[in-house]
Amino acid sequence: MEIQKIEVAKNPEIEDAIELPKKGSHDEVEDCEEQQQQQEAQEDEKNRVEEEDELRNLLLSDIGGLPISPPSATQVNFVTYFITDFTKSGHDQYIYRHANGLCVIGLAPTHIAFKDEGGITNIDFNVGKSDRSVLKVSGKRKKNALRSESNTALCKVSTAKDTYIVRCCVKGSLLEVNDRLIKQPQLLNASADREGYIAIIMPRPTDWTKNKESLITLEEYKEKKELSL
Amino acid sequence: MADETKLASGDSVCLPNGLVSHGDSRTRRVYETARSLHSGAVKDLLSLGVCERCIFRLIPVEAFDSDVSSVSTSTLRSWLESRDDETGSLESSCSRICIVCLGILQFVFSDAKQKLVKTDTSSDYAARITELVKQDRREFDSFGLEVSVPSIIIENERAVLSYLKGKYSNESWLQIKKISVKDALKVLVLDPLRASLGAKSDSSTFHIRLTYSRASDGAQGASEKTHESKRRKTDAENGSNCISENSFEKVYEPCLLSVHCNKMPIFFSGRYFKYSRNVSQSRWIIDDERMGEASVEEILGGNILPACLGDSYKFHAAGREDIDVRMLGSGRPFLIEIQNSRQCPSEQSLKEVEEKINNSEKKLVGVKDLRCVGSQCWAMMREGEAEKQKQYAALVWISRPLEDKDLNSISSLIELKILQKTPVRVLHRRSPLDREKIIHWMKVEKIKGNSHYFLLHLCTQAGTYIKEFVHGDLGRTTPSMGSILGCRAEIIQLDVTDVKMGDS
Repeated sequence: MEIQKIEVAKNPEIEDAIELPKKGSHDEVEDCEEQQQQQEAQEDEKNRVEEEDELRNLLLSDIGGLPISPPSATQVNFVTYFITDFTKSGHDQYIYRHANGLCVIGLAPTHIAFKDEGGITNIDFNVGKSDRSVLKVSGKRKKNALRSESNTALCKVSTAKDTYIVRCCVKGSLLEVNDRLIKQPQLLNASADREGYIAIIMPRPTDWTKNKESLITLEEYKEKKELSL
Repeated sequence: MADETKLASGDSVCLPNGLVSHGDSRTRRVYETARSLHSGAVKDLLSLGVCERCIFRLIPVEAFDSDVSSVSTSTLRSWLESRDDETGSLESSCSRICIVCLGILQFVFSDAKQKLVKTDTSSDYAARITELVKQDRREFDSFGLEVSVPSIIIENERAVLSYLKGKYSNESWLQIKKISVKDALKVLVLDPLRASLGAKSDSSTFHIRLTYSRASDGAQGASEKTHESKRRKTDAENGSNCISENSFEKVYEPCLLSVHCNKMPIFFSGRYFKYSRNVSQSRWIIDDERMGEASVEEILGGNILPACLGDSYKFHAAGREDIDVRMLGSGRPFLIEIQNSRQCPSEQSLKEVEEKINNSEKKLVGVKDLRCVGSQCWAMMREGEAEKQKQYAALVWISRPLEDKDLNSISSLIELKILQKTPVRVLHRRSPLDREKIIHWMKVEKIKGNSHYFLLHLCTQAGTYIKEFVHGDLGRTTPSMGSILGCRAEIIQLDVTDVKMGDS
């Protein structure tokens, strides 16, 4: 072992070569060690390339027929519900429910606010008794979350013409509001169904079962809105 | 008292009380010690009902050591008693359970079937213990001995000692620290056990535990005892000797002895591969239904456990992946902890376990480098956890065709900092936090004939949510693949291609 150390000090350029065969190390100390180690390094390189090829084959083998437009992450992971004319006519909202119970709330495409010229220009989370955008929910138990009823106000969206109140629609704990909307209200106009979501609420299982009855599915929503258009 | 019989250094000697003993130096030493004990104290203790070995402990003229174990209980008794001229009441007191050690140092106990077991010498006792140990079919070269005794013994001893202090306050042996019943038993039986089990004793992974517990007396008896022990305690505090000999009149029951063998867990390390997108890492059951078709944990543990004849296993991995993510490339380091193994599998049997898993029909999981490791394995696991980098290959779809300039704009991003809010899919069980992560490098691999899909190779900091980095998680991860390319991006499938450990 001592001899090996001296070798390293003398030949720093083969330091790399020595480090590589750590996995399959051998303990013999010979005079032609340097040559042997270089050979080993070359073999390792070959093995590595072979392994990479194997890996690439594995990676590509799994790719079956690729659809032109695959379902989005939202469509795959969430069940989509709608609620229409909530407390007021034209106030249509969506509720995406994840398998883990969380609900993402946002404005449905037929919401009355989108009909106004210029779309939504401003959003204000300071409604009801507190500013929803400053609440700090912490920990796994979601301490300090606002306990909301379905008609608790979430925020106000304003257009050039009017201001509309957006409500929770779901009874539960308010975990998060999308505060990016404050600086970028145009997200609501461009992609209300993704980056323009409004809030995330965590309902209790029993509350959700009751709530669900007032919600409609995507199909029912399409039908309803076709008629009114 | 000064009745010193010279012992010839021959093979056997006839002692004044008629007993013949082998005159080896150990026995002789014990004999001489017995003779040199304060006879008044010995008489008192004998009549109180203290056993012979406890007397040796409590009146320590010489250090209590394994030499005492070579002498049988009855011989010890005769040596201690022979100084008195009273020969009566020998028989009756012989069968009394010691009031201090409750029979433990007399090698008397009741077994699991409530039968009284009386052994006279330490080697007989060791033989009994060996029987019980062998029932468990264990293989071991060495063992560690553990003894547990009822706590009432401490109080008993305190009471007797304070009585002695009161009566013989000037004696020098009162000041010497006494060896405890627990340690005394270990000293007495360790050598005979070693001989009888055919094993060394050290602090090994295999432990033999002798647990003595009081036979339950029923409610009345228990309260009586507590009342008495309270009284003894105050007496001890006062240092008085007003403990009447009557309070020790009651007959004590021998303790219940149970023998347990316990093996510290043994560990196996290796790297596993997960080839299926329907196999979870650990056993995953919701509402009595299994998620996925199998788990890595059960496949690995279920194959290693029988090779060890163990009771159960625990699975630890350096990180984890989702059920629909394959683990390829160099594999992920893991540890299997086996509880109560009865044999250590040979290299050959470990190879067979590896082959069995790797050549199985369904090819769900693979394993390599399976070997037995010592307790340094935890350090190895820590290495793989938080600080290290992970490499992935993701199949990504984008809403517009991929252009050549995209390849450059992506591969030019080195050490990219991203901010990830806790993904919605885990937000129900994790804290809502903003986590800053680093994408070390990225590389795009085009797919022939398809401009909307490509393979993204990336190397990231441990703890990065890859899926969320690709689709943006409703804008809660920034930047994301979509925001970098200025379009919508979705992740179709993900594979882990490397888990770097150490300097590899």
